Amino acid sequence: MTAVWQSLGVAFVATLLALAPAVLTSWILTRTRWRGRSVLHGLTLLPLVMPPVVTGYLLLLVFSPKGALGRALESLGMPVAFHWLGAVVAAAVVGFPLLVMLVSVALRSVDTRLEQMSQALGLSPLQTFWRVTLPLAWPGVAAGAVLAFARALGEFGATIVLAGHVVGETETIPLAVHAALYAPGAEGRVIALSGASVLLGLGAVLAYHALMQRHRRRLELEP
Amino acid sequence: MRLQVEASVRRSADFQLSVSIDTEAQVLAVVGPSGCGKSTLLDVLAGVLPGRVVLDGTDLTDVPLHRRRVGWVTQDSLLFPHLDVRANLAYSPRAEGLEEVAAALDLTALLDRRPRNLSGGERRRVALARALVSRPDVLLLDEPFAGLDAQRRRAALSLIHTVRRRFAVPVVLVSHLADEVVGLADQAVRLEQGRVVATGPAASVLRAGETHIDNHLEGDVMGPGEVAFHGTTLRLSLPEGMSGRVRLAIYAHDILIARSMPESLSARNALPTSVVDLTPAGGFVLVSLALAGLVVTLTPEAVAELELAPGVEVLALLKATSIDCLGPA
Repeated sequence: MTAVWQSLGVAFVATLLALAPAVLTSWILTRTRWRGRSVLHGLTLLPLVMPPVVTGYLLLLVFSPKGALGRALESLGMPVAFHWLGAVVAAAVVGFPLLVMLVSVALRSVDTRLEQMSQALGLSPLQTFWRVTLPLAWPGVAAGAVLAFARALGEFGATIVLAGHVVGETETIPLAVHAALYAPGAEGRVIALSGASVLLGLGAVLAYHALMQRHRRRLELEP
Repeated sequence: MRLQVEASVRRSADFQLSVSIDTEAQVLAVVGPSGCGKSTLLDVLAGVLPGRVVLDGTDLTDVPLHRRRVGWVTQDSLLFPHLDVRANLAYSPRAEGLEEVAAALDLTALLDRRPRNLSGGERRRVALARALVSRPDVLLLDEPFAGLDAQRRRAALSLIHTVRRRFAVPVVLVSHLADEVVGLADQAVRLEQGRVVATGPAASVLRAGETHIDNHLEGDVMGPGEVAFHGTTLRLSLPEGMSGRVRLAIYAHDILIARSMPESLSARNALPTSVVDLTPAGGFVLVSLALAGLVVTLTPEAVAELELAPGVEVLALLKATSIDCLGPA
């Protein structure tokens, strides 16, 4: 069952890591108009449409101990490639497009006229973001984060390339299932891990629904 | 205040606001039919839409929304749903005199409520109070009294008067209600299809379009459907059994003017008279006639085409069905 805890830890930290950049990216995509915006949008979606294995390979190039960034992080005691942090980075990057999409939905559902009114009352755009946009959108943002978290639990392709399969360190649920599938007499393990995945997924979907309902109520979209 | 606005904003494929306004007013009314661009003009003034805005010599064109100091009251109130009434009122960093304004607008009992628990009229009062509390340089009011009952409307009106006097804050008021505009505004702008069609003192801009000018007449019943009227005979449909002196009414826009007798005419009455006076009023011209002081509203184009001028002999054409008999005099 260490794989379940491993997965939960990796997915939680990955979602936390991706959340702030995702909110910032979503805000730029939903609230600004400029020429390069569609390019940014495309780049954001890239990990969604690329084979995760390829994403993992590209991340490996960036974070390899032979590269400058990888070496710097390793000397700081934060090795990425073939370590726990690698699984986190892989899950965060692959889950990023989904998170941006869900957070964008939440931000887009906040009436921009309310933000304009906030500014007319004397608050700057940044103050308005903190006092109107985020407070109104947070249940939607949280709902997005829950789904992205559930998605991160199942990250496989990029993880196995960047983090490798290190039992007790990078062995998340999908990696453990994959290994057990080819191990003789490990069917019980496969069934247990699959059951855990179904339960976790179900919990995430239910939490998502509860939060979205709260989001709509907050925006007075329903009573 | 002296307010100069120049804006050209395309809102949709078939609507463009294209205005140039330069007016000096304490309270400027913006009137016109729905969809004429009144709220769009207010959005330009607020800084939500682009346009050149100069207020009392200060160019606000490039001043961002949050530095404009506008007290903006929109039709949909735009209260912050996650804040209670008190927090909504205190939202602006410039907020001042919250309790006083809340009391004046009868909001004290509502201060702890959330917007979702307010009625439409209550929301409007909160929105108006929030704008007043924020100490604006100019108040922009978009139909601020719609949905308020008569008593609250009067209270809100007098509050705006008070605030305007105390803080010397000018007001731009969008409204389709003639009485609230006449009560508040000194100057008015009439918009139609995104363009300014009239501008000037509120009373003159409003008269022709907003309120129907009614001609009240009197005459003596001579027979069925016939009334003696200033030496001529009016034909109209009279209620059964009407006799003696009766009161009649006809709207100014229901009277037609002709220079000579048309060959075939459906109007039952063609009364010879002459033009006494021509007064431009909004997008119309008020034509006063010698006959019983009848007033007719015509478009400036019609006045030009007919070459009307004081003293010109004309025929006033009145359809029998346009004349209402109001009863015995």
